[in-house]
Amino acid sequence: MSSNGESKCYFMQLQIDGYLDGDLSEAQEGVFMSHVQDCSACSSEFRYAQTMQDAVMELPQIECEDRVLEPIHNLAAGGRQVQDDVQRDSLVTQIAGLLNSVPLYFRYGFSAALVAVVAVVVSLSVVKPTEEPNQLIASESVEQYSPEDIALALQELNVAIDYLNQVSQRTEVMIGDRFLVTPLQDFINASFSRAKIRENAPLNNGPI
Amino acid sequence: MQTLYLQAIDQHRHRVLSFAHYSLRVREDAEDVTQEVFIKLWKHWQKIDHEKLGAWLMRVAHNCVIDHVRKQRPQQANLDHYAEVEDQVGEESDANQLDQQHFKSQVQSAIKSLEDPFRSIVIMRDIQGMSYEEIEGSLELSASQVKVYLHRARRKLRENSKLRQFFEEQIADKSEAKQPIALVANNDKGSGHVQ
Repeated sequence: MSSNGESKCYFMQLQIDGYLDGDLSEAQEGVFMSHVQDCSACSSEFRYAQTMQDAVMELPQIECEDRVLEPIHNLAAGGRQVQDDVQRDSLVTQIAGLLNSVPLYFRYGFSAALVAVVAVVVSLSVVKPTEEPNQLIASESVEQYSPEDIALALQELNVAIDYLNQVSQRTEVMIGDRFLVTPLQDFINASFSRAKIRENAPLNNGPI
Repeated sequence: MQTLYLQAIDQHRHRVLSFAHYSLRVREDAEDVTQEVFIKLWKHWQKIDHEKLGAWLMRVAHNCVIDHVRKQRPQQANLDHYAEVEDQVGEESDANQLDQQHFKSQVQSAIKSLEDPFRSIVIMRDIQGMSYEEIEGSLELSASQVKVYLHRARRKLRENSKLRQFFEEQIADKSEAKQPIALVANNDKGSGHVQ
C-alpha cells in the first residue's frame, strides 16, 4: 500500500466519529462510505467503532431507587429546623446590621448600658441570698428578747437619736455661720461702706 | 422550598446515579455519591441558579466522583474484579447475547479506566445523551474542548487492547453479517494501515 493510501485511510478513520454522529456533509459522507466499502482495514475499523458506539449507547440509565434517597427525604422533612436556624441567624445579622448603621457613640453607649444592666442584675442576684440569712437571724434574735429588753433598747435608741439631732443642728449652725451668714454680712457691710465713700468724695471724671 | 427540592430530586436522580455508576462501577459507591450530591443541593439551594440546575448537579456529581476515586484508589482493583464477576453472572442467555453482555461489561471497565474529563464526557454524551451545551455547563469547558475530548475519549476506548481483542475474537465474525453497509472483503489484511 502506498503512503498516499495510508494517509487516506488515516484521514478516513479520523472521520469515523463524525460519520457516526451525523456531522459529515453529504459529499463527505459519500467519499467516506465509498472508501470504507473499498478498504477492508477501514471497514473493519469502522465496524469496530460502530459496535463500540452501539454498546456504549445501549448502556441503560440506572434507576435510582427510593431507598437510596430516603436519608435525603428525611433531611428535607426535618428541614424546618434548619430553616429556623437560618432565620435566627438572619435575625442576629439584622441586629448587627442595625447596630452598624447607628452612630458610633450610640453603639458604645448602648453596649455600656447593656453591661450596666447586666451588672445590676448580677449584683442583685448575688446580694439577695446573703440578705435572707440576716433576716432570718434577726427574726430569730427578736424572739429571744423579752418586751422589757425591747422597751429599754427603744429608749436608748431614742436618746441616741436626740443626741444625733442636736449634733446635726449645731453642725448646721456652724456651717451656716461660717459659709453663708458671715460672708453675706461682710458683703453687705462692704457695700454700705463703699456707698458712704461715694457720698463724701464725688467722682471727678472730666474730659481727658 | 421543600416541594421544589423534592421535585428536583425526582427529576435528576436517575441521571446522577447513572453518571456515578458508570464512573465508579460499584453500586454502593454510586449511591453514596448520589446522596452526597443531593445533600449538597440542599445546602446550596439558596445560592444556585435554578435555571442551570441540571448542569450544576452534574458538575457536583463529577467532582464527587473524582473525590471518591481519589479516596478509593487503593481498594479499586478488588472492586473492579467483583463488578466484572457480577456482570458475568447477571445475565444468562444464549451465547451471542452473553458475548454482547460481556463486551458491554468490558466497555464499562474501559470507560471507567479513562482519565477525566474523557470519562465524564463519554458518559454524559454517549450514555446519558446530554447535549453539548449541558456538558459545557457541567464541566466548565468550551464547546470545541468538549468535542475534541469526546473524539479523543472514543479513540482511547477503541485503542483499549482488551476490548479490541475481545471484539475480534468474539464479535467481529458474528456481527459481520448484520452490517447495514455492503462491506467488500479485500485480501489485504495487515497492509500497514494506521490503527
